Amino acid sequence: MISKALAESVLACAMSGGADFVEIYGEITRNNSVSMLNGKIDRATDNLVSGVGIRAFLGTRTVFASTSDISPEGLMQCARAVAAATGDLREREAIRLTERMFPNIHPAVRIPSGVEATERAELLRTACFAAKEYDEKIVQATGSILGVDHTILVANTEGLYTTDRHIRTRLAVSAVASNGSENQSGSCSPGAGMGLEFFDTVSPAHIGREAARQAMVNLRADYCPAGSMTVAIENGFGGVIFHEACGHSLEATSVAIGASQMAGKLGQQIANPKVTAIDDGTIPSAWGSVNIDDEGTPTQRNVLIENGILKGYLIDRLGSRRMGMPMTGSGRRQGYTYEATSRMTNTFIANSPDKNEDIIASIENGLYCRQMGGGSVNPLTGAFNFSVTEGYLIRNGKIAEPVRGASLIGTGSEILQNIDMVGQNLERAQGMCGSASGSVPTDVGQPLIRVSTITVGGR
Amino acid sequence: MKFEAMKQALIAAAQKAGVEQYEIYYEMEESLSADTMKQEINSFSSSVSGGICFRCIVNGKMGYASGELMTEEAMENLVASAISNAACIDSEDEVFIFPGSPAYATLPERTFKLNDAVTVKNTALALQKATYAQNEAVSDGTQCGSISATSEVHLYNSHGLELSNRAGVNLAYVDAIVRKGEDAQSGFEFSEGATFEDVKELPAKAVEVALSKFGASTVETGKYNVVIDGKTFRSFLSTFSSVFSAKNAQMGLSLLAGKEGEQIAAPCVSIVDDPMREGCPFQSNFDGEGVATARRDIIKDGVLTTLLYDLTTAKKAGVESTGHGQKHGYSSPVSISPYNFGICAGDATREELLADAKDGIFINECKGFHAGANPVTGDFSIESAGYRIRDGKLAEPIKSFTIAGNFFTLLKEIDRLGDKTLWGQPTSSTVFGSPDVLLRDASIAGK
Repeated sequence: MISKALAESVLACAMSGGADFVEIYGEITRNNSVSMLNGKIDRATDNLVSGVGIRAFLGTRTVFASTSDISPEGLMQCARAVAAATGDLREREAIRLTERMFPNIHPAVRIPSGVEATERAELLRTACFAAKEYDEKIVQATGSILGVDHTILVANTEGLYTTDRHIRTRLAVSAVASNGSENQSGSCSPGAGMGLEFFDTVSPAHIGREAARQAMVNLRADYCPAGSMTVAIENGFGGVIFHEACGHSLEATSVAIGASQMAGKLGQQIANPKVTAIDDGTIPSAWGSVNIDDEGTPTQRNVLIENGILKGYLIDRLGSRRMGMPMTGSGRRQGYTYEATSRMTNTFIANSPDKNEDIIASIENGLYCRQMGGGSVNPLTGAFNFSVTEGYLIRNGKIAEPVRGASLIGTGSEILQNIDMVGQNLERAQGMCGSASGSVPTDVGQPLIRVSTITVGGR
Repeated sequence: MKFEAMKQALIAAAQKAGVEQYEIYYEMEESLSADTMKQEINSFSSSVSGGICFRCIVNGKMGYASGELMTEEAMENLVASAISNAACIDSEDEVFIFPGSPAYATLPERTFKLNDAVTVKNTALALQKATYAQNEAVSDGTQCGSISATSEVHLYNSHGLELSNRAGVNLAYVDAIVRKGEDAQSGFEFSEGATFEDVKELPAKAVEVALSKFGASTVETGKYNVVIDGKTFRSFLSTFSSVFSAKNAQMGLSLLAGKEGEQIAAPCVSIVDDPMREGCPFQSNFDGEGVATARRDIIKDGVLTTLLYDLTTAKKAGVESTGHGQKHGYSSPVSISPYNFGICAGDATREELLADAKDGIFINECKGFHAGANPVTGDFSIESAGYRIRDGKLAEPIKSFTIAGNFFTLLKEIDRLGDKTLWGQPTSSTVFGSPDVLLRDASIAGK
């Protein structure tokens, strides 16, 4: 993408405005997607993203310029823009780069962009047809299959010159069930840091049927009652609760500037002792894993909370400067137009000794959230909300009738204390997390947990 | 110019491949932005990005390919990928490369220039200083910013249709963090403007918003008269705007399917979509397929006048395209979306709406729409914050409650509208606007 010699001149030029550190990030990303509607493949697209972002640090101030023009002249122009915005120009000093290769622990076999669109379309067709065939009340199944082949280059004035390649595959199906007067929807969208061999681990038909099953449950569900309740949240995407309510507040982006409720609380009991939470970017072939982060730092397993005690934050390069703490392999960005910031990778609550059946049996009246939807959080106050896409009332310790339209609202610090039972069936699920540095793939996860009390929005 | 060279390369590659019907869409954006932290500029960035999309019809199917690499070889690859993508399509929808509309509206002359780097930085810094100066409770974490952006679009197709558009905007924002003891609150305000002089009212507004949130408690669950701030209600409109898409209607994903000509909202509700709205930085006289755009009534006095159509959905429905086949970025396929989509103002001042609500809730903050709202069913349950209304006036701040209901029912239940449509920040070329809205007996879940 960019030769070592060219990177050396670009870095030297960008440094000439007086910066104390400069980094080049280059990317070539092949995105391809096929989508299906009404039983027909209606769209197939390829897009090639290519560009470079150059960032300079002067203490904790940053200057950033990006361009889609990756010709040598385009890069030098971008570097000159960085230098000019940093400060008065001075003599260039030579930069020496050393190429480093990091081991690839997420190997992909069948790269999506190397497989004909017709073959990818067939996988999608199987998934959507399975949804449609699940029940005659399923009136609509739409879906898409997405392949990403993302190659990055990172070079910086500390001498690093390295590249990494990350392959991702995801299949999403959304089903609509109708009884004639009312529509309800369900969805399923697993993915992995793998090529098309991902479908040897999860069958496309299973994905379709799961979306349809959820839509059918919601079709017979009545509105969820509102109020304060004890809630059991199932594994997998249920982990969005931790991602939203706590994970974002542990990112250096908000911690370093004091805009987080978690700032200054290292070593303190911030959660119920049942809660141990981890962010691990090294899980082989997981959706949120990468060999190195977008600043060239190898990813690692970061224990965030251990037995309720805050153990660590997610720290990128700038956060590290601001906080005086080491980087944690958490600097991520969607692509060249964004500056890297601290982000999550695969974040989950670890298993704990409570038996799952005991968790349900312990709730006299409450809500069982089998599937969670998305959510959002204000990192300053920790206030969050997220939707329950498949929920059931719990009566006398047993799961009863389905309910729909529920949302869970509260604050991070509150819910962390209120997670008072944690089960044993840890599972992760895939999502795209949007924040200051764009949309990045992340896994959320947890076993079944019990929240002693939380506000349920319904009606 | 880059576009011209790439256009010629694509035309040659298409000819070589024997493709007769195709379109070339080029978009390039430039931006400068600065933001602050504590008392200084925290970061400054400049960006040039964009790309080119080639789409073509092969055996009646449309294939797309796009990219950012501007070389002749890359253009040849685009043509080859688009052809191979077309081959896997089995949708029977008719697709078009559009010969052109009889006439295109004339856009006002624009002389927009990208703001210079120094002014962008100075504006952000001056806002930051002014924000700290508002109140001693303003704390670190407060961030102000200034952005200047331009975009350029070219569309060329095999019928010889050639269209182009330029737009630009200068924006500034203040995100004030205010602390009292352990409690912290934030207030966000933005507006258009290139220099501090243009936007100097922002710091006071943002700090006031943050200060007013302290001491908020939640409310009892129940039914309340609710006044929703137009700035907040436009997010409802944005969330549910997909129900006005003819594509969603034809897919069975919109409950407005087949409702054109019917009363779907209260008689006080009219919605207009105006691509050339005066004051909007992004005006466009053609859509992503090259169809001329125009100001249109979407809901007139509560009656649904039209859905939003592109060429394919219009053909299916036996109507003309309404010019809503937009491209959000060079790489995105044509999809239906509005331009300046807003509820027309009513007659009441905010004071009158509050007085009318008498005992109730004023909502000026809602979040989590992507999670708490379902455009297919219209159901929503949204985390909100605001104030109690007592004796027809704003009283104590409230938070951590949800407003729940159904968008389609809500449209019919709008009781009264404020006298000013408040427009939001443009996302791509779409902007939503709404006046304040009064609802009666809305479901509120609190404690």
